[in-house]
Amino acid sequence: MDSVDDVTSMFDAESEKLVHLINTAATKSDLSLHEIIETYYQIMNVSSMITMLKQQIDANEHQTLLDKIIEIEQVISKKFNLIIHPQVIEQLSKSIQDTTKNLQSGTSEQKSKKDIENDAKLYEELRKKMSTKEFVEQYGKGLSND
Amino acid sequence: MAKDCLMIEDLAKNLVHLKKEFAKIYDGKSQIQEVIPVLKSDLFPIHQQDLELLHQFATKNPIYYNSFEKTIGDTTCIVYEGDINKYWLNSIQHGSSNAPFSPTWIMSAYVGVLLAQEFGYQEVIDIGSGDGRIAFCAKVLGLESYSIEIDNMLVDLQKLLTILDFHPYCSDATTFDYSSLNLTQPIFFIGGLAQMGGTELTSGVLDKINSISNLKKTGWVFAGTYSQKYQPDPKNEAGWGSLIEKNNLKSIQTLSLPTVWAFHESEDTPYIFTQTI
Repeated sequence: MDSVDDVTSMFDAESEKLVHLINTAATKSDLSLHEIIETYYQIMNVSSMITMLKQQIDANEHQTLLDKIIEIEQVISKKFNLIIHPQVIEQLSKSIQDTTKNLQSGTSEQKSKKDIENDAKLYEELRKKMSTKEFVEQYGKGLSND
Repeated sequence: MAKDCLMIEDLAKNLVHLKKEFAKIYDGKSQIQEVIPVLKSDLFPIHQQDLELLHQFATKNPIYYNSFEKTIGDTTCIVYEGDINKYWLNSIQHGSSNAPFSPTWIMSAYVGVLLAQEFGYQEVIDIGSGDGRIAFCAKVLGLESYSIEIDNMLVDLQKLLTILDFHPYCSDATTFDYSSLNLTQPIFFIGGLAQMGGTELTSGVLDKINSISNLKKTGWVFAGTYSQKYQPDPKNEAGWGSLIEKNNLKSIQTLSLPTVWAFHESEDTPYIFTQTI
C-alpha cells in the first residue's frame, strides 16, 4: 500500500466518523461540551487530511477519492459551517447566560460551607462552557479569514 | 548578599516546604486554601504580633469561610479555606480586569514585603491589589502602603480589612495620579502574570512613574510563571524578561513563594525583584 492509499483509507474512516458526529449534532438541540469539542476536533482533523490529500493526489488516478473529498467539503461548508456552527454558538451563549444569572442570584446570601462548595462546581461548569465557547469562536474566526 | 537577605530566602524556602507538605495532606474541597503558622518558631522567625495581624486579616476576610488548626511537619498552623468565585464572576462581567482576582498567600505577601524592606524601600504600592494583602503586610512591617484596584467589589472588600490603613484606592492603575502620594523610595508589586495582561499594566504604570521627575530609584516586583500553559518570554525571567530589558530595569533577586493559583503545581510562583538602573 503506498502512502496515498494509507491516507485514503484513513480518510474514509475519519470522514465517516465526522458525518456521524455532524448528523448527531444536527438532530440534538442540546449538545454536551464533550460532543461539541469532539465534533470540532473531527472537523479540523478531516480538513487537515483534505488539504494534505489534495496536494498529493493526481485527479486522473484518484477520481473516486476526489469525489469523496468534494462531498465531505460540501457537508462541512453547507451543513456544519452554515447551520450547526451558529447553533452551537447560540446554545453556548444562552447556557453561559443562564448559569451566570443563576450564580449571580445567590451571591448576596450567607451560605454554608456545603453550599459554597456545591456552587463551586457550577462555577467550574461555567468556566468550562466559557472556554469551549472561546474554542468554538476561534474556529469561526478561521472561517471568516478563509 | 546581606545576612538578612539570606534569612529571608530561608524563610521563603521554609514556606514553600510547608506548602508542599500541606498540599500532600490537604483533603478538603475548597476552591482556595492557605496556611499561616500559629507561633513564631525557628522555621518561621516572625514577630508574634505580626503573625497575629496576618491571622486577623484572614479571619476578617469574607473570602474565607472556614478555618481549622492543623500541624504540618513541625509547624502548627491555621488552615484557611475560601472561595473567590463571585469576585471572578464580577470581574469577567464588567471586563474590569485582564487578570481575574487570584491571590498570593498571605504569608508570601509578608515574605515578599520583608525583602522589599530589606532593599531599603519606604513605600509599597500594591498594583491590581485584589483584597489588598500585600499592602496590608507592608503596614504590618511598618512601611507606608497604597493599594490600587480597579474592581469596585474588591475595593469594598478591602475596606472591611483595614485593621491597619493600607489606603485602598478604586482606580485604574495606569491612569492613577501617583504624584499625589508624594513617594520617595517606592516599590511596586504588580498583580497578574505577564501573559495575563501584566505587561500592559506595568507599561502603563511605568509611564506614569517615569513622568515624576524626583523619583530616581524605584523597585518593581513581578509574579512570574514557568508553566508550559503560557507562552515563554524570549528573555526569560519567568515571562518578564523583555519588559525588564525594555524598561532598563535590573533583576536583583528572585524568591519562589506559594500562591493560590500555583497550589496544585509542583513549581511555586517566582517573584522577580527588579529596580531601575
